[in-house]
Amino acid sequence: MTVDYMTIAVSLLLLPPLMAGGLSLLITSSRRLHLTNLISIGTLIAAEVAITRTVLAQGSVTAFGEIVYIDALSSVILFIIGTVGLACSLYMRSYMDDQVARGVIAPNRLNLFFFLFHMFILAMVVATVANSLGVQWVAIEATTLATTFLIAFWRRRESLEAGWKYLILCSVGISLALFGVVLMYYSSLRVLGDVSSALNITQLQQVAAQLDPHILKLAFVFLFVGYGTKVGLVPMHSWLPDAYTEAPAPVAAMLAGVLETVAVYAILRSRAIVDQAVSPEFTGGLLALFGLVSFALAAFFILLQHNYKRLFAYSSIEHMGLAMIGFGVGGAIGNFGGLFHLVNHAFAKSLAFFAAGNIHRRFKTVEIDQVHGLVTVLPWSALALMIAGLALAALPPFALFASEMQIITALGTSGLPGEWLQSGPRIPVIILLFCSLVAFAGVLSRITSMVWGVPPKDVPEGEQWSVGHIPIILLGAVLLGFCWVLPTPLRQLLDTASAMLVNR
Amino acid sequence: MSWLTPHIGTQLVDLGSALLLLTCFAIVAQRRLSACVDLFALQSLFLAMTAALVAFLTGTPHIYFAAALTVLVKVLVIPRVLKRVIERLNVTRELVMNINVPASLLICGVLVMVAFFITQPIMPFGHLLTRDSLAIALAIVLIGFFTMIARQKAVTQLIAFLVMENGLFLGATAATYGMPLIVELGVFFDVLVAALIAGIYTNRLQDAFDSVDTTRLSELKE
Repeated sequence: MTVDYMTIAVSLLLLPPLMAGGLSLLITSSRRLHLTNLISIGTLIAAEVAITRTVLAQGSVTAFGEIVYIDALSSVILFIIGTVGLACSLYMRSYMDDQVARGVIAPNRLNLFFFLFHMFILAMVVATVANSLGVQWVAIEATTLATTFLIAFWRRRESLEAGWKYLILCSVGISLALFGVVLMYYSSLRVLGDVSSALNITQLQQVAAQLDPHILKLAFVFLFVGYGTKVGLVPMHSWLPDAYTEAPAPVAAMLAGVLETVAVYAILRSRAIVDQAVSPEFTGGLLALFGLVSFALAAFFILLQHNYKRLFAYSSIEHMGLAMIGFGVGGAIGNFGGLFHLVNHAFAKSLAFFAAGNIHRRFKTVEIDQVHGLVTVLPWSALALMIAGLALAALPPFALFASEMQIITALGTSGLPGEWLQSGPRIPVIILLFCSLVAFAGVLSRITSMVWGVPPKDVPEGEQWSVGHIPIILLGAVLLGFCWVLPTPLRQLLDTASAMLVNR
Repeated sequence: MSWLTPHIGTQLVDLGSALLLLTCFAIVAQRRLSACVDLFALQSLFLAMTAALVAFLTGTPHIYFAAALTVLVKVLVIPRVLKRVIERLNVTRELVMNINVPASLLICGVLVMVAFFITQPIMPFGHLLTRDSLAIALAIVLIGFFTMIARQKAVTQLIAFLVMENGLFLGATAATYGMPLIVELGVFFDVLVAALIAGIYTNRLQDAFDSVDTTRLSELKE
């Protein structure tokens, strides 16, 4: 009975984006496109809730003969896909219609946008629920393919350039990850024999301790570099600021909030297997080192930015670096902090890009110097930008403060993992605190200069209420609320997921 | 077939892999874009033959399927798309190179050694038949990676990406006698779509920048 119920729930996870994508190609009216989109996301979230309840009760769910495997970790990622997806869908209702009304995009290109958006969501969901590491790779490469045209959707020279850079860099990076998958299969075949399930997470986890450590180390390095490109870790990050600046605001929100998270998930999945055969210090050291470098460099790049979308892009690199430090250091607090940080960052970054989208439409510029007096021109967006900015600077009343504190606490207690990084916890903590201070100053000074001041004369004042404001208010409230109360199901989910990640 | 002892089988698979590596070097040395496409098609044909050989020697039927798909996608469809893209462009040669041909070939030689060095510790674990191919596969991936950096035309970069993919496929066939079928189908699908998208892109870049020289793509700066 429960098996059937779960099969239905999983189908409801995968079918809505698929069908909505197909339908979007046929529908021409904008209202119906948005309606299809909302129904699809709504069904997806309902299915997620059903699956998460079962996961919390039973530990994990498999469906379709072990093709699909969902546990607490995948549920957390699904939660992020669903909530940010819903927020983007609501925001798109006002954003895309406005762009069509202003003639930026031809009305007949709207259905292409929605088709690609649905395919993007589908690919991310498949990457999250796939049991086979190979299928996961295929789905993550599919996200690259679906989003290239979304990034270049305005078809300006800059957007084409950003799209090409993204396509080439991510495809190449991801190819390296495929070599990692091949090596993983190579090692598991020796233990499991020539079976097609030898790449399945469920199988690999059972035999992980018997796998050959040499092959797994090599495999993990390839996987980490490959998926790390997608996460945007330094030095594989150069596509990221361009893509986020050129992409339409809801797409940038999805890229920053969800796609990066899915790539982190792929790394964590392989890591859970590799850690059982190799000492966890190997993978942990790799994650923490790249995380620290990304965090530190991005913090300084934030200071140099004069374009607010690029500012948010570098802040993404910074926060992903921080989450990586959390996972790298490990332990109960580190992993919990890392996961919680992923959730909070997804909310804060989508809020930031929604505000940025509103500002861009009104001021018609992405230069920070040319935006002043936001508080009189667009009061609601100014509030959203302020909340997002303060949250991204990890100031106390916002949830990112809580998760950042957890990560720093974890780092302070155990220091960086790995023999060659061991220098006591003091130096890395000082670096971390100093760089977060730099990022804090960078983000805050830019945002205050945008919010306050005298607005340029040619910009009309006043903000009209639209559907797009609902997600802005909700996300702001959530960011504020999560610092104080974490809803019990979410806390349970995060606890279970981080317990799974704690290296044995 | 009594003459086909395992020893000769190993030799034949090694020969196939070596031919793939050889075409890699030829692509690096080639300046004419259309010749690069032909060489890529030839390399894919060698890949399909090697895969078919592995399938025959090991009796794994699904590798035949993958070999047939290779012929269809990488020998027929993608080269044709690329040829059409090149016809539309006003350039037929890679004129400016970041690294010239002799130096490139030298670097590729070093990359092959690096690949053998990296895979040395894990090679003994492999199947007897295809042991050496794993190193060659990694070498091809690295050479593709290098070509991507060393060449500037969008088309050449695309070919380099496809060469990397060929290397990966050789690795999968050689090291593991093919990935699970569902994964292999997915990979083929991704590669095909990626090539098509990149083809469309090259056209759009041509329209927007009047060039497919990726050094011209420099409007996005810090």
